[in-house]
Amino acid sequence: MTELPFRLRLIRRDGASRRAALLAPLAALLAAGLVNFLLYIAMGKDPAAVFYAMLVEPFVSWSSFSEVLLKLTPLLLIAEGLAVGFRAKVINIGAEGQFILGAIFAASIPVWFPEATGGWIWALMLLLGGIGGALWATVPAFWRVRLNASEILVTLMMSLIAAQLLNYLLVGPWKDPMGFNFPQSVMFQNDAILPTLIPGTRVNVALILAFVWAGLIYLYMQKSFQGYQLLVGGLAPHATAYAGFSEGRAVWLSLLIGGFAAGLAGAAEVAGPLGQLQRSVSSGYGYTAIIVAYLGGLHPIGIIFSSLLIAALNIGGDNAMVSADLPKAAVEVFQGSLLVFYLAAITLVRFRIQWRPPQEVRA
Amino acid sequence: MTSDLNRRGFLKSTAATGLAAALAPAIAHAADEPLGIVLVLPSPLGDVGWGHALSAGLDPIKAALGDKAKITVLENIPEGPDADRIMTKAVADGNKFLIAGSFGYQNGALQVAKRNPDVSVLHASGFMTAPNFSPFAARYYQATYLMGMAAAAVSKSGKLGSVSAFPIPELITSVNAFALGAQAINPKVEVSVVWVNSWFDPAKEQEAAKALLAQGCDVIFSNAQDSPSVVSVCEEAGAYVWNLNSSMQKYAPKKYLGCVATDWSPFFSQQINDHIAGTFKGTVAFLGVADKVVKVVDWSKDIPADVMTKITEAEGKIADGSLSVFAGPIAKQDGSEGVAAGASMDDAAIVAMDWHVKGVTTPLPK
Repeated sequence: MTELPFRLRLIRRDGASRRAALLAPLAALLAAGLVNFLLYIAMGKDPAAVFYAMLVEPFVSWSSFSEVLLKLTPLLLIAEGLAVGFRAKVINIGAEGQFILGAIFAASIPVWFPEATGGWIWALMLLLGGIGGALWATVPAFWRVRLNASEILVTLMMSLIAAQLLNYLLVGPWKDPMGFNFPQSVMFQNDAILPTLIPGTRVNVALILAFVWAGLIYLYMQKSFQGYQLLVGGLAPHATAYAGFSEGRAVWLSLLIGGFAAGLAGAAEVAGPLGQLQRSVSSGYGYTAIIVAYLGGLHPIGIIFSSLLIAALNIGGDNAMVSADLPKAAVEVFQGSLLVFYLAAITLVRFRIQWRPPQEVRA
Repeated sequence: MTSDLNRRGFLKSTAATGLAAALAPAIAHAADEPLGIVLVLPSPLGDVGWGHALSAGLDPIKAALGDKAKITVLENIPEGPDADRIMTKAVADGNKFLIAGSFGYQNGALQVAKRNPDVSVLHASGFMTAPNFSPFAARYYQATYLMGMAAAAVSKSGKLGSVSAFPIPELITSVNAFALGAQAINPKVEVSVVWVNSWFDPAKEQEAAKALLAQGCDVIFSNAQDSPSVVSVCEEAGAYVWNLNSSMQKYAPKKYLGCVATDWSPFFSQQINDHIAGTFKGTVAFLGVADKVVKVVDWSKDIPADVMTKITEAEGKIADGSLSVFAGPIAKQDGSEGVAAGASMDDAAIVAMDWHVKGVTTPLPK
């Protein structure tokens, strides 16, 4: 039960209706659509053109949909990894930093060995990326387990350090000597770029990897004993402690899995659409993935859909900017309002509002 | 001259292949469609700064072409995969003239140009060219030299500072020319630089400005900031300040020393006309005082009259080519010879300049 002002109370429904749960996203879309429709009218934009560019085109135009798949890849990878920890109540909000470390580890090969050739290079880069992300996550894991420092704070602060480390490398030792002093690395050689999956698009093999990863996480979380222990540990820490499962192990597992996934995504980004290490390597994937994970209900299958939704919203927003002349701020208003309405709707599915004043509860 | 040759060549080849008749309906159709012009900017489009100057450069084209042009300005687009996609999308939508307003768009914009030979691309501050891809840059250094003269005249401490975006040659030359201009008035002047490594980070820029002021600098050069961050800090602290691209005088009514303004409209108009005529050619466009692209506006009234006379004189000589900012002898930071006496840096050397002149005290990040 959650207290609200105005003498309202949220009461958990005994059985949440499945139909209502399915209708909730639709209702959110309609409500956000209506609010933004009025906004576009007031701005003098053509709402039909905006909605087409934002909501339809990402799915009907192949060039747009391929970009949705490209954008989905890092979100899916990171969010699946984070969800493991979130369900065990290990709150890793530092995926951004783990992503950057993955990108740095992966870039070390083309930066140090720009002449190397061979199909193994990109594969090794992906592996190194995962290792880099996991290594970055060992610091908050150690602090939490040995020093009892909150992993929420430490993971977040490690992200700031990661950004500065990237900065240092790009203005210092890893700067492209022919790049006119601009803070970016050399362009990677061909073998350090992920093979394209669909000709004519930027979709690469990392997409397959992301879905394989989602499948592995599904098996791990839903089918394995260890996954079950993590889940129960999150729900009832004392019970699992009695059962002999250590909290420290849950912290280590959660952070290593989350860090590995984020690092892998970072490697796939530099070796994919970027093709070089640069300062804007992430565009906030590590943070967006937190939203993706919770929108997907922390469920491996749900996250596939939420990452598709968020990726499509991003591509659609860019489309609306280019094709319907919508300012970026208005795009962000749409994305934000859709999320707010969705969260409100999903809350109303799970809870009902009681209008009567709260009564005294005897202890 | 070259464009004439090109146009003639274009007409000749078109006629010779005998495709002209077959293409006529397509060309007529294309003429009905407005020319889609897209400007992509790295920062939010404000009422001042680099993005504002580029966007304002398109205003006369809008007025001249009216319905025949459709201009889209896309602001706050981060350099990287998102920018690549957005430029690709803009071209897929039928836009034929792309202005990539930041150095960091280079790889993506070049790919777009290579895949779409019928699209003409202008790219800010870059060094790559292709038949339909032209980098363009302003010879800021010609006017930052003049600002250096003014700064040395109003400075009491003899210490000048610069908050600078990225240590790329374009900005390095601006700082160097600022120092050289100042030394022309007072040979003992020193210049300190803080590189913030961002085009738009107001908080960091303000911190950098405060650090320079604390070191005793009393004239600050806001080098390529897209917001009045540095300008307003200096006004508060009572230090003179000046900036590039568009005037920020209203943010520093007392202490504004002047603005090295850029007016891109003559250049954009010419390039767009070339595109329409089919004579667009990928070249390096390096435009300065003589091209009327770079010009100092809003000079401070605090500059002594005798110095102002010298400045006006120097401006005239730069415009007619009799004064070269990077004419030797110029010593490097460490005292070694940068430019020999009697020699002068050519454009190739200027666009690749990666060293500071003597008098700039901060070492360049290597």
